[in-house]
Amino acid sequence: MLAYIVRKLLLSIPILLGIVTLTFVLFCVVAPDPARVYAGKFKSEAQLQALRHQLGTDVPKSRQFWNILTFHFANSSRYQEPVWHLFLRKAPISLAIQIPAFFIELGLQLALALLVASRRGTILDYGITFLAVLGMSVPVISLYLGTQWIFGGWLQWFPVAGWSPGFFYALHFAALPIIVSVIGGIGGGVRFYRTVTLEEINSDYVRTARAKGVSARDTLFTHVFGNVLIPVLTNTVVVLPLLFTGSLILERLFQIPGFGALLFDSIHAQDQPVVMFIVYVTSILYLFMLIVTDVLYTLVDPRVTLK
Amino acid sequence: MTAALDSPTGILRDAPPTSIGRQALGQLVGKRISLASLIVVSFYVLVGLLSFTPFVKDRIDQSYSLDNAYAPPALRQTLADGSKTISPAVWFGLDFEGRSVFWRAAYGTRMALLIMVCTCAISISIGAVLGLIAGYFGGWVDDLITWLYSTVSSIPWLLLVIALAYVIQNIQMVNARPAPSWIAEFFGGSTTVILALGLTDWVGLCRLIRGEVIKLRDLDFIVACRAMGLSEGRILLRHILPNTMHIILITFSLSSVAYVQVETVLAFLGLGITSKPSWGRMIDDSKLELLRGVWWELAAATVAILVLSLALNILGDALRDALDPKLHGVK
Repeated sequence: MLAYIVRKLLLSIPILLGIVTLTFVLFCVVAPDPARVYAGKFKSEAQLQALRHQLGTDVPKSRQFWNILTFHFANSSRYQEPVWHLFLRKAPISLAIQIPAFFIELGLQLALALLVASRRGTILDYGITFLAVLGMSVPVISLYLGTQWIFGGWLQWFPVAGWSPGFFYALHFAALPIIVSVIGGIGGGVRFYRTVTLEEINSDYVRTARAKGVSARDTLFTHVFGNVLIPVLTNTVVVLPLLFTGSLILERLFQIPGFGALLFDSIHAQDQPVVMFIVYVTSILYLFMLIVTDVLYTLVDPRVTLK
Repeated sequence: MTAALDSPTGILRDAPPTSIGRQALGQLVGKRISLASLIVVSFYVLVGLLSFTPFVKDRIDQSYSLDNAYAPPALRQTLADGSKTISPAVWFGLDFEGRSVFWRAAYGTRMALLIMVCTCAISISIGAVLGLIAGYFGGWVDDLITWLYSTVSSIPWLLLVIALAYVIQNIQMVNARPAPSWIAEFFGGSTTVILALGLTDWVGLCRLIRGEVIKLRDLDFIVACRAMGLSEGRILLRHILPNTMHIILITFSLSSVAYVQVETVLAFLGLGITSKPSWGRMIDDSKLELLRGVWWELAAATVAILVLSLALNILGDALRDALDPKLHGVK
């Protein structure tokens, strides 16, 4: 097992270098001089040079590559503070929305998928599957704007937007974002897990279990459910880093000062160090989670052999 | 002697050749729901093509309001002399500058069509070429291409699209040299969206085609082609590529849904289409209009995207069921 993990980690080094190269090429070679983009057209050469020094783009390209590789980023040009500080300040706010949304969404997806798969071909199955496809087809921004307008503006059940520290304030402001984020993301999962569940329900081991007298309910919850969890694992572990980055649209619309809103503002303010930091760090975390998924996969599924 | 072979009752005549396109069409028309979605998609294509004419273009920036910009949807338009006439311009209401939501939504169809076709052209060419080369030649070429797509797929797609769009937009901003006017007119500022999507979304297709080619390249008919002395290029283009066509068709219909959806996100981030109306821009505009209770622009753009996505999703799934015997989706 340990040898397998070590080999996986070693095999991911070329990909890690690939991510560094891609980030470097995109932001330090292809992209125009960030000092000029940030400062605008009417700055003197001396001012531009000072800005370049601040952004860390006045050093040779090889040095810039090394800086990305070793996680040395320039300060945010908008906030004038290290990007890591911004990350530590903003990420918990994003997590406060994303973690509850993630677990509620996953739970509902699994429950609904098992429900409709066990009642295949009924009105309930068609209805929920249709709603799931419908949910996947609505543009998320329309969904967010629409619910914000109806429940926040018109019915006034929730505050339209805003944020305040403290648990109960946070709950007050986070409720609607969490609900819409669940509604927006639930469709794809229901449809996918339904297919997975149906494939399991039609397997031989289920027929054997039923034949030897296990009740339909026990078959579904012990035999089928355990096997459905394997694709669930591959689907969910990789998106964990995206919980940190949050949803940039959701946080922008509901005025939540999280990490997603930071990315949004940084794009608008041409704050290149922050944009680069978010793209790079999220990709590294994502890659790491891909490896974790592979390892977990071998743990939960004995059919997967360690090669 | 040859007359026997050419006779209408000969065995050779019994099975008419069927192209993959004809097979797909036959399968789709057979089922009611896929036929319906095919009709819906054709309708969108028709509206999109009609919107390439100056007739629609002249109407997108024109103001239709006399006194109030936010006129709600109505059947008849009030003209300057107070008389009323039936005009499609006011059917979906007017936006914050008194412009017709109906005509802007129609023009948005043109933009969506342009983005879907151009993006797919880029992503499918990159994905197909790299996939064919990697699968057919193997060796270090395969290693290199596998490394490339593993790297690109290790970055969350939306984030990569946003990063690329950000960089492309900055390049366009710093390079003050404007594009030739006919290009600007034709693309209407959608080049950032097209490039950002097309240059990042070839990964899935490349991986699928590579896998398919690896299966195909050692089959008897390819060995026979090689034995007959056909060139590598000819084998790849005439004998292997047509056998991967079903993957390309399915990818085209399913990923174009994603392109329309991501266009709305890019428009919201200010990285999207700049000079012409698109569905994404209409949704973005509507976030301020909603404060005044003006919902019709949001509704028009949302319904347009919703119906197209639904139809393309159903069509894509039907195509997959029809063309790919190995991917038997459980229904």
